[in-house]
Amino acid sequence: MKERLTDLYLPSKAKVIDVVDMTSDVKLFKVMPEKTFKYKPGQFLMVSLWGEGEVPISIASTYGVREEIELCIKRVGPVTSAIHSLKSGDDIGIRGPFGNGFSVNRAKNRDILFVGGGIGIAPLRSLINEVLKNKKDFKKIELVYGSRTPSDILFMDDINLWQKKGVNVILTVDRKDRGWRGNAGIVTEHIGKSRVSFKNAHAFVCGPQVMINAVMRDLSSRGTPEGNIIMTLEAHMKCGVGKCGHCYADGKYICTDGPVFSYKEIKQFNLNGV
Amino acid sequence: MGSIYMESLILAKSNLSYWLRQLRKEMALIGPLKGENNDIVFKTVENIHEIILDCPALIPSPKEFIFPQKEDMFRFSKDKVENLRNDKKRLIFGVRSCDISAIILFDRFYGEKFVDDYYMSRRNNTVFISIGCNNPDPTCFCIGLGSGPFLSLGFDIQFSDLGDRYLVEIGSTNGMDIVKKFIHLFSQPKKSDYDDQYEAMLSSQARFEKRINLENARQKILFEKVDDSFWEGVAKRCFECGGCVYECPLCTCFNVIDRKYSETEGIRIREWDTCMFRGFTKMAGNIWPADKKVMRTKRWYFHKLIYYPEQFGKFGCVGCGRCTITCPGRIDMATIAYRLKVGENERKAD
Repeated sequence: MKERLTDLYLPSKAKVIDVVDMTSDVKLFKVMPEKTFKYKPGQFLMVSLWGEGEVPISIASTYGVREEIELCIKRVGPVTSAIHSLKSGDDIGIRGPFGNGFSVNRAKNRDILFVGGGIGIAPLRSLINEVLKNKKDFKKIELVYGSRTPSDILFMDDINLWQKKGVNVILTVDRKDRGWRGNAGIVTEHIGKSRVSFKNAHAFVCGPQVMINAVMRDLSSRGTPEGNIIMTLEAHMKCGVGKCGHCYADGKYICTDGPVFSYKEIKQFNLNGV
Repeated sequence: MGSIYMESLILAKSNLSYWLRQLRKEMALIGPLKGENNDIVFKTVENIHEIILDCPALIPSPKEFIFPQKEDMFRFSKDKVENLRNDKKRLIFGVRSCDISAIILFDRFYGEKFVDDYYMSRRNNTVFISIGCNNPDPTCFCIGLGSGPFLSLGFDIQFSDLGDRYLVEIGSTNGMDIVKKFIHLFSQPKKSDYDDQYEAMLSSQARFEKRINLENARQKILFEKVDDSFWEGVAKRCFECGGCVYECPLCTCFNVIDRKYSETEGIRIREWDTCMFRGFTKMAGNIWPADKKVMRTKRWYFHKLIYYPEQFGKFGCVGCGRCTITCPGRIDMATIAYRLKVGENERKAD
């Protein structure tokens, strides 16, 4: 026990190299870490601003695609508001990557359905780009993505690119505005339009808690096995390493046992208010 | 901490203060002293003769010294970040077996998978001298959990009070280190010393007023399904004061906060937090996952009675009885375990 202790809670430096305004309250931060590291889709970083605090943010970029890391951050609390005031050239602190992340091995040779809501598209984007690296390993790839309004749709450039690569994308909005000719309503109203074979498909879901729960039930009723409905959860976190206890729920730490769980696990452990 | 030695020695009570005085030259000495309100609390010892040798498990528990209520983590300024990890050498005298049992679990919780360096730094630099309990308090129930009144391993140094002398058992390298240099103060134990210790243990065991079996409570929850109305009843009596969490030697949750001194300077601290508070799980964007009180009270009991055994093979309770003393709603661990056992309807008037 006398070995040198490592600084578990010390954030390492990363430089903001670009900030992209995505919507009125979402920005994409491209950051270059001082020390590079490997990460998996679905993992998250503890993003830190000295004097403001630390928040868990899922990684929106895909390892090996670009050198910088992309963090898609919505302004919801004091820390994210402070992060929103950063400009390129500023420093932030990061710890991680933490969490189990998504695994797509079991989805090989099957249809994949991604279901995203709002900023929940961020971790899915990391996964979609990972899947598209080896597109031939999978059968149909589809995305159902719901946003508040057409101007809240995130990663439109990526979506266009995914469509070009053969991903069937179904977009829907809660409130239409002028010029929107697409779907309206919540995602569950449009999942049925997907052409994946629900009984064999693997679904990856991320979004607000209510949406996740509705989608899980919907997919399950369409015959998708509960073990193949995979989602990533959010929780209040202060450490990211299973110590602070804030994300602890029914014997599981969202940060270290998750944040990615299957519907089967979520039912078993009573997570996400299910 | 460290590999397990097992060696027993005898220390005459008349040699104790000399030994502690010598040790205090090398490390801070903390022990049970009279507090301002005539209570007994762990404090830095100025006068060794003021140490109170026959006290019960104290409130607050000694977890304060390895996991402080408020701990500075980092000091930051414009171009520098300084880690404020504490590695001060300390000797904590007079803790009880239940506290050591809790620390053994703390070591696993903070030391496994991701090693919490703030905890480990303090822990590695702290030696505990625990005293086996000849006179358990009416609120104690460690006997049903194997976490007291005497321990057979896991301690740094365990004292057994044998009247005019202590049987000193050394259980770790840290413990050995503080004995080795002063070995001339100790003598080899005789068979009669072990007999006396055995007698003290037996007589202590006979004095326990509370016989609480948490395993019964666990099985009741797991296999007989406790009605939610039971937990509603518990929640109704909860004042959400957080007292149980603060006094519990096994509650580990903390919050992390940044405090700014100026635009560019400040500190990051961590401090105890409690799952009994509604805001504990609150997320930005006004999301309240544990909105109902019953969710929070149930969570605390489930963590200690169900999930601790799953994760560590031990209950998240050492039977110290502190929550029994502290809880104003009388929904402490011992009471709840008892109620789970007898069932709410058959409960005797208490």
